[in-house]
Amino acid sequence: MSTSKGKKLSGMQKQVLSLYRGFLRAARSKPTEDRRQIESIVSAEFQRNSKQVDRKNFLYIEYLLRRGKKQLDQLKSPDTMGLSAFNVSSSKKQNAKT
Amino acid sequence: MALRSAVLRYIRVPVQTLTATESKPQPQWSLRASLRLFSSHDVHLTKEEVIDRVLDVVKSFPKVDPSQVTPNVHFQKDLGLDSLDNVEIVMALEEEFKLEIPDKEADKIDACNLAIEYIYNHPMAG
Repeated sequence: MSTSKGKKLSGMQKQVLSLYRGFLRAARSKPTEDRRQIESIVSAEFQRNSKQVDRKNFLYIEYLLRRGKKQLDQLKSPDTMGLSAFNVSSSKKQNAKT
Repeated sequence: MALRSAVLRYIRVPVQTLTATESKPQPQWSLRASLRLFSSHDVHLTKEEVIDRVLDVVKSFPKVDPSQVTPNVHFQKDLGLDSLDNVEIVMALEEEFKLEIPDKEADKIDACNLAIEYIYNHPMAG
């Protein structure tokens, strides 16, 4: 694992985990099927970033944290039913809007 | 409510069909269920019960190999999980024991024994 957290978590690592926890808590308040979907998308995204993003790339991580917080706020709103993700491939034909 | 069920349980005991051998009917309630007369909420969980339930939660985690799970096992060092999985396990424990664990404490729980200690010492664990 490229991001093995040592014994003591750095401030940034704590923020990441706190955000992750926030998403999982928000998911609990949604209906079961939506909750499963949210958990699977969020988990995949965090896992992917943990492997692909350089631990020292503070600027990018901070950007991801800010973006994540905004998405979490939206998710917490009772109007939001769930998340979906779509792949934006290089071929413009495949852009699907959800 | 606990009083009512405790009284009902107590009342049920004498109703035993006598077997052909004249053995005196023994009260059959399981000793594991702690005696709960006159308590307004459940008496605290036994350490054994906490250990069993914590291990069950950890064993049921999809990324975990159940045969590796012992009460002293470290989530990341022994079970090969990462810190995100750690968060998920602690949240699963929250749901099992009906607790809400603050971030500061949750960050410290990275092994089975710490989880067991924390839950056992928590007054609201249920």
